[in-house]
Amino acid sequence: MNADQADAGAESPAEDILRTAQRLRQGITGDLHEYWVEAIYADAARIADRAVSRPEKKARPTWDRTIDRIVTSRLWGFPIMAVLFTGMFWITISGANIPSGWISNLLIDRICPLLRQSADAVGFPWWLKGLLVDGIYLCTAWIIAVMLPPMAIFFPLFTILEDYGYLPRVAFNLDNLFRKAGAHGKQSMSMMMGFGCNSAGVVATRIIDSPRERLIAILTNNFALCNGRWPTQFLIASVFIGSLVPAYLAGFVAAASVTGIAMLGVAATFVISWLLSRSVLKGEVSTFSLELPPYRPPRIWQAIYTSLLDRTLFVLWRAIVFAVPAGAVIWLSANLSIGGQSIAEHFVNLLNPIGLLIGLNGVILFAYVVAIPANEIVIPTILMLTVLTTGSTAMGQGAGVLFEIQSEGALRELLHSGGWTLLTAVNLMLFSLLHNPCSTTIYTIYRETGSARWTAIATLLPLAMGFAVTFTVAAIWRMFT
Amino acid sequence: MSETNPMPNGAGTACGSCSLNRAANLKRLGVTMDDWDYVVALAGNPNVGKSTVFNSLTGLRQHTGNWPGKTVSRAEGGFEFAGKRFKLVDLPGTYSLLSTSLDEEIARDFILFGRPDVTLVLVDATRLERNLNLVLQVLEITDRAVVCVNMVDEARRHGMTVDDRQLARDLGVPVIPAAARFGRGIPEVLQAISDVATGKFECRPHRLHNEPPAIRRSLNELVTRIQDMYPDLPNARWVAMRLLAGDDHVHAALRNGDLGSAGMHGATGGRTESGRAV
Amino acid sequence: MENVSLVILASLTAALVLLPKWGLIARWRESRRMTEKCRREDALKYILKREVNGQTPTLNGVAGALEIHSNKAAELLSEMERRGLISFDCGQLRLRHAGRELALHVIRAHRLWESYLADQTGVEEAKWHHLAERKEHLMTPDEAEELSARLGHPVRDPHGDAIPTVGEELAADAGQSLNSAPLNAVMQIEHIEDEPETVYAQLSAVGIRPGMRVCVFEKSPERIRFWADGQEHVLAPILAHNISVIPLPESAGQDLFDEEFLAGLKPGQNARILGLTTACRGAERRRLLDLGFVPGTSIEVEMVSPGGDPTAYRVRGTLIALRREQARLIRISTSEAQPL
Repeated sequence: MNADQADAGAESPAEDILRTAQRLRQGITGDLHEYWVEAIYADAARIADRAVSRPEKKARPTWDRTIDRIVTSRLWGFPIMAVLFTGMFWITISGANIPSGWISNLLIDRICPLLRQSADAVGFPWWLKGLLVDGIYLCTAWIIAVMLPPMAIFFPLFTILEDYGYLPRVAFNLDNLFRKAGAHGKQSMSMMMGFGCNSAGVVATRIIDSPRERLIAILTNNFALCNGRWPTQFLIASVFIGSLVPAYLAGFVAAASVTGIAMLGVAATFVISWLLSRSVLKGEVSTFSLELPPYRPPRIWQAIYTSLLDRTLFVLWRAIVFAVPAGAVIWLSANLSIGGQSIAEHFVNLLNPIGLLIGLNGVILFAYVVAIPANEIVIPTILMLTVLTTGSTAMGQGAGVLFEIQSEGALRELLHSGGWTLLTAVNLMLFSLLHNPCSTTIYTIYRETGSARWTAIATLLPLAMGFAVTFTVAAIWRMFT
Repeated sequence: MSETNPMPNGAGTACGSCSLNRAANLKRLGVTMDDWDYVVALAGNPNVGKSTVFNSLTGLRQHTGNWPGKTVSRAEGGFEFAGKRFKLVDLPGTYSLLSTSLDEEIARDFILFGRPDVTLVLVDATRLERNLNLVLQVLEITDRAVVCVNMVDEARRHGMTVDDRQLARDLGVPVIPAAARFGRGIPEVLQAISDVATGKFECRPHRLHNEPPAIRRSLNELVTRIQDMYPDLPNARWVAMRLLAGDDHVHAALRNGDLGSAGMHGATGGRTESGRAV
Repeated sequence: MENVSLVILASLTAALVLLPKWGLIARWRESRRMTEKCRREDALKYILKREVNGQTPTLNGVAGALEIHSNKAAELLSEMERRGLISFDCGQLRLRHAGRELALHVIRAHRLWESYLADQTGVEEAKWHHLAERKEHLMTPDEAEELSARLGHPVRDPHGDAIPTVGEELAADAGQSLNSAPLNAVMQIEHIEDEPETVYAQLSAVGIRPGMRVCVFEKSPERIRFWADGQEHVLAPILAHNISVIPLPESAGQDLFDEEFLAGLKPGQNARILGLTTACRGAERRRLLDLGFVPGTSIEVEMVSPGGDPTAYRVRGTLIALRREQARLIRISTSEAQPL
């Protein structure tokens, strides 16, 4: 910025030096960087040698070594990984239910009526009360209740494993697989994080220092089924798929089908990684290095503190920022009407033909449009819209008010009345895996890549895949039924 | 940060216009000097316990975010010692400062252009040789540094001892052994930082002299030239090396006077500074 | 009604053809102009290269190099003379000042772009030349300067050719062809000619790169057998002709035949690093150096991933995992190993 000024002056000393440097550079053969690093390391070795006294007998860090031998062994490496991660997810999913219930009880069952009352007391018109309380507040409360507990459990667990030094060993074990897909072993770590939250997973790709592999990890992170989508999967699986088999098998079959969907996501990660590395990303720089740091006893409190601060609250805050307008849109679309029908119904009718073509329906597609801010509100939105469009009065709490049904039977009944079949359920599970990332993640991808192009690819690629897969499944299904 | 009674800008530096220039650079690097007497940069290899040291120095007075315009995480915080306020900026963990990666570029640019009053380099006692690579590179750029040898407890467990006095003699800067996980050595680190910042301890940093013959002649010629023009430049040899390597940032910095220290002379420097300050 | 649509159709068609900048005619003109520019610049390059190597540029040579008919070449050359780029002195082709400058710029742009592709992208080696052949005509001198600064003002391109700086002469090709190298002498590859492309692609596919040490141990009209980077190579003389080599002192080649690479090190073994091969470049090379893979360093295999790759090495007190393809780029010596 000041170069012009500097140049304008008399022959500046800087220019003279730069010219000298230019001339001298021509005379140097070989790699300057290499000479320099070599010289520095030589000095470092000399100084370290003088300062460090080692024991006569070689006392090696044998403890580290033993652990490393076990966790990276052919026999035990993979089973240990599987047990640890299954355990982590189990703790997250089962542990999150209870606090989720508390928060939902507090925010939705207690505070929400209070807000309604006080709005009445102040004398808000019905539409303002509806927009603020039933729309914006309820949607935000919903997202906090569903999102906060699993993240507050998952992220600290993840951070503790990270702190201990185990995660680089996972990357080391899995690198061969990722290498074949043209990706980096550390992608396993960002993927794992993605199972918690894709937005955090995208941020976690920062540990991958090779530009090509980092982009691959960012673009495929959405295939890791995130916390916000697990509830949808479990609910649909238990209501529709679990009910296909005898009751004592139902839980198992439902869980297996959700695991199947998650595995499908992992498979998609590898296939898409492979395709990306051989097509659009071919020209990006690629390097590999992976440090396996010594094991360190994890600092539990610090892990909890930093993961809550850096990851949980960070992600939650972004989600809330996007949830506020979404709540307003959902409420308005259900309550504003044009020609006797609410806007939501217009959209549902508009999307219905496409939805039916891919084995879903207009309600589901519209729910996915308004639920772009957070996957957590897909199911409540679907329920609200189904009640709205079927005109069922037995359930629901009014147009635009999100709600949940505790009883599986009632839920099944409602959805059947909305025209749902087994195909709808299967395709909803598939579409829940394969669709655009939530707006928080899209925004994070944009921040991390700084490129509208990569953001667009990351958004549209899974969406296109979702349409293609559900369409194919629907076509095959209809052929045989 | 609940700081009251702000101090004047850059109270710790010698010349007014230089501190203005530096303050402008620091601002660009995301650090405002409003409430602080000194800026301390925290450098170190990955996995040496940098965040532990950062936390024990700053406590909860910290905030995290990104480097301006970059997607690299940063943390900054502050502490008070002997009546002075220090701002601590956590640099990305790197093996080197030769700007192979974005992290290294950020760390390097902060030490070079932000000119922190003290650079605290954290090293792992169990892997001293590798860590010294970074220390030596830092000492090539700045002559105000403190080395903290962390994890001496772990080294002892492996039967290794680090002679910190010998190390301090060889490096020419204060060397403090510490076990940050247990809070050991932290008060001494604070004292050393304060000593270097206030000028109570004068560093005579180790500099490289064993460059291979293939480059020594060219390097010497350029260093002579640079020292003629900028006699006060604290890191002429390093600048010469980067110029020979064709480092674009250093090129540009030399042109518009961003390099240098207190008392850097030359019309270019002065004018740039006033230009910046407006 | 019909008339209206006819008029619309006609004006659309006319617009498609005639529109300035976007119309077909304008595009066709632009592409013609570009082709002409490329041909002129390629011809200048050819003439300059002949000149610096002490050969006489000829009209037929230009036609051959550009793959155009000699009539067309004659037309091109007279156009270039009109523009003041070249002169015919007593029937001999010579570059004039403007022509020399332009030719140098194009060569500079070409070599800079190849350096860029090699250093800062993951584009495969066989494509560098082809991409640079196009890019060289599109870059302005200012852009070339900017690129040079970004790359840290490289002195040589990935083929080992000097990158000319502004206002400098082009250096003559150094070295001799591998075909004429003496038997059993240690040589170093100085340069690999990147034309024709198919030959270059074949050479780069078998991993032959500038900076490699080679030793020819059998020559016959059918084939040349030589040793490089720890393995034996066999090439037809027509391929080997594109490789130019310079002699190295005898001492530099002692370990040539029993060269060892990190990829061959077994678990529990240790070794000393001798250096990185020239195939390791750009970001990868700098990263490995920064991690401490510098000559003289002791290294040991610590453990192998359950999948067989990567392998974790203990180097300067830290465990670093490298993939096999990287470990192949690191030369080691097991005989000089010191216990860690």
